[in-house]
Amino acid sequence: MIEARTDPPGSTGAVPRHRVSDLEQWTTITVLQLGHYLRTNRFYGLLGFVALISALTLAFQVNSGIAVVRYYQLNQCSEYLSNFLAYTGLWVILAAAFFGGDALSVDFSTGAGYYMLVLPIRRPVLLAGRYAAATLVTLAIVGVSYLFSIGGAIYFFGAATVPWAILAESVGVAAVFALAAVSVAFCVSAFIRSPAAGVLITVLALYVGFTTLTAVVQLAGIEPWFSLPYAGGAIASILDTDFVHQQAIPVGAGQFFYSWVATVPEGLEIMAAYIAVFLPLSAYLYQRKESTG
Amino acid sequence: MGSFEVSALSKSFGVGLPALSDLSFRYEGAGAVGYLGPNGAGKTTTLKLLVGLLRPTKGHAYLNGIDPMADRKGALWDVGALIETPEPYPTLNVHEALDAVGRARGLSRDDVDREVDRCHELLDLPPLGQRVGWLSKGQRQRVALASTLMGDPSVLLLDEPTSGLDPAERVLVRRLLNRLKRDHLLFMSSHQMLEVTEVCDQLVFLDHGRVLLRDRVDRVAGRIRPREVDVEFERPVAPEAMATVRTLAADVSALSDRRWRISFDGSDETRVRLLALCQGVAPVVQFANTSLVLEEAYLELIPKAPEEA
Repeated sequence: MIEARTDPPGSTGAVPRHRVSDLEQWTTITVLQLGHYLRTNRFYGLLGFVALISALTLAFQVNSGIAVVRYYQLNQCSEYLSNFLAYTGLWVILAAAFFGGDALSVDFSTGAGYYMLVLPIRRPVLLAGRYAAATLVTLAIVGVSYLFSIGGAIYFFGAATVPWAILAESVGVAAVFALAAVSVAFCVSAFIRSPAAGVLITVLALYVGFTTLTAVVQLAGIEPWFSLPYAGGAIASILDTDFVHQQAIPVGAGQFFYSWVATVPEGLEIMAAYIAVFLPLSAYLYQRKESTG
Repeated sequence: MGSFEVSALSKSFGVGLPALSDLSFRYEGAGAVGYLGPNGAGKTTTLKLLVGLLRPTKGHAYLNGIDPMADRKGALWDVGALIETPEPYPTLNVHEALDAVGRARGLSRDDVDREVDRCHELLDLPPLGQRVGWLSKGQRQRVALASTLMGDPSVLLLDEPTSGLDPAERVLVRRLLNRLKRDHLLFMSSHQMLEVTEVCDQLVFLDHGRVLLRDRVDRVAGRIRPREVDVEFERPVAPEAMATVRTLAADVSALSDRRWRISFDGSDETRVRLLALCQGVAPVVQFANTSLVLEEAYLELIPKAPEEA
């Protein structure tokens, strides 16, 4: 036991502190993480990339002329938006991987963990704050694509024809998809120590892996109900005016190639399942992980 | 007053790789406890176990009576910890990095600003608007140290707190630690014997994951008999003039024409007689041990196998 001394204190005196709630700490972490993400090169790089692709798409369409675009979009603004937003799932996956793929591993591979994990914050709260920030940044990236699509819709079809309610639903589906993709990215990040590997594996798994698997099982005549990118198709299909869930394309000799597009309820169910499995798993792994480095 | 405790604490990494074995000690109140041992002794592992960055293989760690494995938030509530090399996000500026810590510790916005100002003054922090990623290693270390002080927690766990600092910064931090220990409990691992000598009241010597010695600094110092002194004369002294000193010393060697190093048996009696003999040679300006007493203690303790100690 060390005896207290009576000399003047080294600090300015007691600092008033209140028992901060988990919710307050969650807000602090979310704001901190958002502030960090919004200043990273990866944010501006991805934002620029999505803006560039969207701008090029729009430029080609403008170059084709209003009549041509209207003809190919069945004279439907909703159809136009559906086609423009066909790549939204990819943007979500890329953003989720960029911002979620290293969100947890950074604590065990850099000094960030020695700064954050020694604070009086429960790890699930830390995870939840980062999860919210990663999802919001992902939606900000995707928002660029939506803004361009709305600009195109107004240019080619007029503001009065834009189906705002369905577009809002599409944004809602994209938000759920972002939550699911970030859940997977967080799980990868909780498993893998290297931040760069976490990002890469998330992209490979969610985009390359699942896209390939989806194509293969469709060749075998099986609906890819297990695939998250497949579920992401609902973001655009909700706006599709001639939506068909299952198509049978004749390939000769009485054979058919079947392809599926997720319905909105089906897509949401798949996304919800991914969130339900991967988010708690991430939290469990993160809670158990040790700073051995 | 704060406290920290480890109780039968053991940690192994993989099979047959014990990093800590059955460690038990407890400190409370105010003061500074130095945690000494060679690289790989288990000092950082102990600190990580205390804050819950590692899970014990056996035993428990407690901060202010709370096990961080059971209640991380409660255990770390009144604790500031500087372990390894903490790095706030490089995109944040100094104020933002400290603000997050203050908010997490339950400070109001005004109190955060007051605390940042206090830390800025205590540690001569870089400009608060400067991004962490642009700071030098020493500046970053001072920001990390400031983060441990935000909210004025009663227990400070410091792993090599002056690592990466230049001499002036080290002096600054040593002075700060000396002030802090008056009403805080410091647990500080270090390889800097001067730092430990100046700051700490108590010592824990660790090697191969076992405690070799726990005692007060003055008691440890009292047990050590340094066997070498350096003597500095007022004027140059010829080698033959040191003949009388050689009669008592094991060895006498010239460091310069005014400075000599004398090896002897380490006893106080011989030391007194040697000083008298030197004063007979020429006026003595300085007569001091060649190394810090704690350094001698360290060298005496650490080479021993753990089972001997």
